[in-house]
Amino acid sequence: MKRRGDPRASAVCGNICRVSVALAIDARGLGHQYATPSGELTVLDELTLAVAEGEHVAVMGRSGSGKSTLLALLGGLARPQRGWLTVQGHDLAELSGDDLAAFRREEIGFVFQHFGLLDTLTAAENIELAGTLAGTSPAARRTRAVELLDAVGLASRARHRPHQLSGGERQRVAIARALANRPRLVLADEPTGNLDEEAASVVADLLDDLPAVHGVTVVVVTHDRLLAERAQRRVHLDGGHAR
Amino acid sequence: MTWRDALSLARRNSSRRPGRVALTVLSVALATALLTALVTIAQTAQTRVLDQLAKGGPVSGINVSPARPDPEQVDQDKPTAGEARDLDADAVEQIAALPQVAQVLPVVTARVFVASPSATVSGRPIRPFVERMVGIDMGRPGLLPITLLAGRLPQDGSLVDVAVTEAWLKRLGVARADAAQLVGTEVRLAAGRVIGRGRDDIHGRWTRLTIVGVVAQGAGAGQLVVPIEQAELAQAWTVSGTDGGEELGASTSPYSGLLVVAEGIENVGPARDAITAIGYSSSAPENLIASVDNYLGVVEIVLTAVGLIALVVAALGITNALLASVRERRREIGVLKALGARDRDVLRLFLIEAFVLGLVGGALGTLTGAAIARVVGAVVNGYLADQGLAGVRLTVSPLVIFGGIAGATILAVLGGIAPAWRAARLPAVEAVGA
Repeated sequence: MKRRGDPRASAVCGNICRVSVALAIDARGLGHQYATPSGELTVLDELTLAVAEGEHVAVMGRSGSGKSTLLALLGGLARPQRGWLTVQGHDLAELSGDDLAAFRREEIGFVFQHFGLLDTLTAAENIELAGTLAGTSPAARRTRAVELLDAVGLASRARHRPHQLSGGERQRVAIARALANRPRLVLADEPTGNLDEEAASVVADLLDDLPAVHGVTVVVVTHDRLLAERAQRRVHLDGGHAR
Repeated sequence: MTWRDALSLARRNSSRRPGRVALTVLSVALATALLTALVTIAQTAQTRVLDQLAKGGPVSGINVSPARPDPEQVDQDKPTAGEARDLDADAVEQIAALPQVAQVLPVVTARVFVASPSATVSGRPIRPFVERMVGIDMGRPGLLPITLLAGRLPQDGSLVDVAVTEAWLKRLGVARADAAQLVGTEVRLAAGRVIGRGRDDIHGRWTRLTIVGVVAQGAGAGQLVVPIEQAELAQAWTVSGTDGGEELGASTSPYSGLLVVAEGIENVGPARDAITAIGYSSSAPENLIASVDNYLGVVEIVLTAVGLIALVVAALGITNALLASVRERRREIGVLKALGARDRDVLRLFLIEAFVLGLVGGALGTLTGAAIARVVGAVVNGYLADQGLAGVRLTVSPLVIFGGIAGATILAVLGGIAPAWRAARLPAVEAVGA
């Protein structure tokens, strides 16, 4: 897997100092279109976005504004059609096949609105699944699952299947799974979209703590204003551009 | 992802739709059962028919007569023999030395007077009569062209055991199904010897024997089957007469015939040619067996093809079930890829599911097929017993068992390739549905 050497961006501190900040995400001129029966639909157009390591960013926008597409591009689920995208030092345009899979496995933790838990596995096994795909030893991934379940307050639900958990609990398991391989970037797609207010608040707290507790960068795509307000920075997508 | 992890995950996935999985396994099991049963029955039928043609002996058996070959008859299964020629120890040695020959068993026949004190026909005791006893080496029963219908064969070297043939049953008016009732009854035999001048002055050497079995036999012409030692004693007694046994039809040949077993059915023809070259007439159901074997081979191929077609249909069922599974699990596959699964991990996962379905279905089907074949065998044996015929011994060969399981598994994996490939090629973006 090719990796660029520590891309940095300049940050200005008033008028007197200039420091370099390591970037987790560096997107420039990103463009993405979908073919529809009525022609090409542009969802991202010359989008530029920089996210510093350890930053907590919320991406907002109306339905169809390209939020999920952006998330898919950032996570290596789809390949950029135009522009330049570096995530955790990897030029995603240069990755494909097994390299892209390895990138997702090692660098990214995903949290989905639909939780994405396998019904046939227990909470602990769902967390272990990430380690299984990464080739972690059974003992190590079991230890990690127990540790993460404890961290999200679900140690007692380790043997429960997803259908035996509430929506909030499922999302906490999903967050634990996202952290299983110690990624440096967590991408969350509407993580509170299917949750009630109380569960959403617990999940928001967990996501909020990730940069500080686990040292990861967090990008949350959401409609939830309360969740977005917890982020250090909010990015609005409109007309394919980021504001 | 290791094979072990993939197997564990595939096993869990199989529990997702137990009904569908059960039906898929059932279809594979039924197809494998059909294949196993058909192949087993076809193979048993083939063995049985060939066994009947060889009268229980090896299908590569050849009968050698104490006569020269008739050059115009050598290609016949049952040629007319030429002029008489003694079969002696030298001839046995020459024939046994042929590379195409596995075994040589001498046969000695002798004419005897028969009195059966306990036997009756229509309630009246039967009158003594002349019959021929066939003496063979009972030490190698597997090589004898004899099918046991009831009881057992005479013990090797015994001078008191005798087996009778179906013709004996007919003489006594006993149905084939009732053959067992003759076992244990007594029969008296006398070898004759002319001590004066011709048939009016014959001295009999009487012996009491017990009928120990009823057989169908093709070792020689005669209704009494005895160990060769008995026949040799009887023959020696007759030949020791003043006429050298001529009046009573005793042959001068030490052996009345030879049972020759060729090294496999393919060597029957060459062995017969070599025996002809040595100077003896021989017979074997060579052409008949070859023709019947060919026809039975065709039947076996057809039955196997029927079973294989069923198995292919079952494999298509697996394809269908897995395609449905891929359709239902698009998002899950996307999630797996989002977590870092490679295309080949997903491919492996679905192929293992197909493998497990095929293996379980194949194993269940093979066992079921063997059981079905046994049931059919029992029904056939019941019918044969009613007809007074010897039953069939049905055995499921290890090759059929291995072939059934392996065939079902391989076809299942082949059937799983298309769905597995489709699953592996699904884009990771399915996870977010963007």
